[in-house]
Amino acid sequence: MGDLLSNLSLGFGVALSLQNLFLAFLGCLVGTLIGVLPGVGPIATIAMLLPITFGFDPTGALIMLAGIYYGAQYGGSTTAILVNIPGEATSVVTALDGHEMARQGRAGVALGIAAIGSFFAGTVATLVIAALGAPLTKLALIFGPTEYFSLMVMGLVFAVVLARGSILKAIAMILVGVLLSTVGLDLETGEERMTFGLPFLSDGIDFAVLAMGIFGIAEIMRNLDHTEHRDVVRQAIGRLLPNKEDFKQSYKPVMRGTLIGAILGILPGNGAVLGPFASYTLEKKIAKDPRRFGRGAIEGVAGPESANNAGAQTSFIPLLTLGIPPNAVMALMVGAMTIHGIIPGPQVMTKNPTLFWGMIASMWVGNLMLLVINLPMIGLWVRLLKVPYRLLFPAILMFCCIGIYSINSLPTDVMFIALFGLVGYTLIKFGFEPAPMLLGFVLGKLMEENLRRALILSRGSLETFIERPVSAGLLAVAALLLIVALLPSIRKGRDEVFTE
Amino acid sequence: MPTPHEGSGISGRHGPVRAPQGIAGGILLIALAALALWLTRDLDQGTLNSMGPAMLPRWLAIGVGLSGLALIAFAFTREGEPLERWSLRGPFFIILAILAFAVTIRPFSFGGITIPGLGLLVAGPLAIIVGGYASPEARFRDLLILALSLTPFCMLLFGDLLNLPIPVFPQALAELFPADWSQKAVMRVTAAVLVAGAFVVFFTTRGSRKTTIDVADHSGRI
Repeated sequence: MGDLLSNLSLGFGVALSLQNLFLAFLGCLVGTLIGVLPGVGPIATIAMLLPITFGFDPTGALIMLAGIYYGAQYGGSTTAILVNIPGEATSVVTALDGHEMARQGRAGVALGIAAIGSFFAGTVATLVIAALGAPLTKLALIFGPTEYFSLMVMGLVFAVVLARGSILKAIAMILVGVLLSTVGLDLETGEERMTFGLPFLSDGIDFAVLAMGIFGIAEIMRNLDHTEHRDVVRQAIGRLLPNKEDFKQSYKPVMRGTLIGAILGILPGNGAVLGPFASYTLEKKIAKDPRRFGRGAIEGVAGPESANNAGAQTSFIPLLTLGIPPNAVMALMVGAMTIHGIIPGPQVMTKNPTLFWGMIASMWVGNLMLLVINLPMIGLWVRLLKVPYRLLFPAILMFCCIGIYSINSLPTDVMFIALFGLVGYTLIKFGFEPAPMLLGFVLGKLMEENLRRALILSRGSLETFIERPVSAGLLAVAALLLIVALLPSIRKGRDEVFTE
Repeated sequence: MPTPHEGSGISGRHGPVRAPQGIAGGILLIALAALALWLTRDLDQGTLNSMGPAMLPRWLAIGVGLSGLALIAFAFTREGEPLERWSLRGPFFIILAILAFAVTIRPFSFGGITIPGLGLLVAGPLAIIVGGYASPEARFRDLLILALSLTPFCMLLFGDLLNLPIPVFPQALAELFPADWSQKAVMRVTAAVLVAGAFVVFFTTRGSRKTTIDVADHSGRI
């Protein structure tokens, strides 16, 4: 406990310095600004804004990036409530009741409770990270390559189970993702693999390029297919602060949502996505009058929004302690850390305590800022939402180009976002969900490395994965999950959760 | 590339195919697997004890291919989604815009053709205006104003404030200015000229197109 306090005070010392406060503020502001734009999710936002953090010291850059991440998440919720266009999977649920509240002239209250719930969830999640950081890091140190490999397999299985739509397609996407990660020089032998002899492919496919193509460019192409009908709320926003009655209805959902979100967020394989869905389903189940849901129930905003934010934050845990990014956003964080010369993993905490704890403390600071930025500036966001898409997307397009060019100064990177954009568009049209592919790609290199090491240690025997108890446990969980997900009755339930 | 499947998909609703999207997706996966297998054909697979470079890609490709086969098999037994309608306009202009940006941002040579580095000054507006036509609702005037105002914003943000190594204007432009001017001064003046241009376009063409703008504003769709 004493450790925790001294660590946190170290962190706050870093996070509250004038420069870092400013960077957190700037990150939150810019993140919200881009995140509010319909059709731009957090992944595209971060990939686009990655270059603007290059000029700062590593701590400042990561604080700013984390700010951009929360900002983008939060901006997505604002859009979901005001326009009924969920910017990303996690705000789908918010749109259900949030937009209905907005139609009833209670947009302000919906935004207010979302902000307050998120802030509460963020505070709790910050404490969870601070408390779990040290013990998990110790756990990571006893993990060998065998355990790492099994953990990542489990993460990928989670991603398959949590993906929307067909399980078979999700598995295929994971495999394609891992396959893509093997493009480039083989680290052990130095031989080129699947590079078509092109020199710029020998380092492999850059993650930011892949993410930008699949989540930035492909999204634009897809949005252009649908004739736009933006249902921006015409009613007054109304008062922002929820009244006593609202608070009474929502404080329990906020707490339950926070708990659910925080736990799911820790899971490898993008568990955070499930948080809002789980929270919404739970609130609906235990509500006295479930019919209110979908018609502007405040619990339907409070719970999922808290779960969303808690999960967004605790998903930093696998990255900071084990060095394994649990989702695409965290993979971009890996990219950002590597650019600044930091290799994510258990050693960050011991070697770079100011960075580690500074970043954790800045999460709380960032959440506070979001509360301060968002509520008074709501008028600005509403105005931003009225910019027609035909003018928005060319701007997004140019920002994507500039962003990706600035990372490596390579025109070929820019061309590749066009290629991956087309690939992503094709995948979407064929009913494949690209998110699992991205996760497979992210974990692919790490998996191959650890698989090789594990097999060398075991002299080529695959049994090592089931002989070592921790590894066997992880694989058993993965197998169990997959079987459960394939059971017909559960599958039906899963489909229901996602269609709701 | 997807067009050939499209026809078969639509007629497939009446035939034995019950999930045309599955067929198309399956073919895509199998093609991908085949490509990967062909590309790794010369590489050594090694043994489990010392894995060669081809071990993982090859087995992954086989996995991808099997998933593809399974998708196709299920397409005959289970009811599934029909193929969605494709539009070519969007992807075409978006890709064209990105390529235009890529070849103009800095000197680029492809085959015998060399394009001098024109910098953000040209690449930015090119991306915005060409890309803008991806939407059927594109209007040249609006895109021009957007290009003329966003480009200087990006020049100042990325080039001036953030000091990113992104080429901002062609070298030829810098030579037009007095020799003792710094890069940044040239950049700022250019940005100011662009913004002025945006204002000029905005005010001079406002009267003549007023009706269309009004229609857009009152159409109810935002």
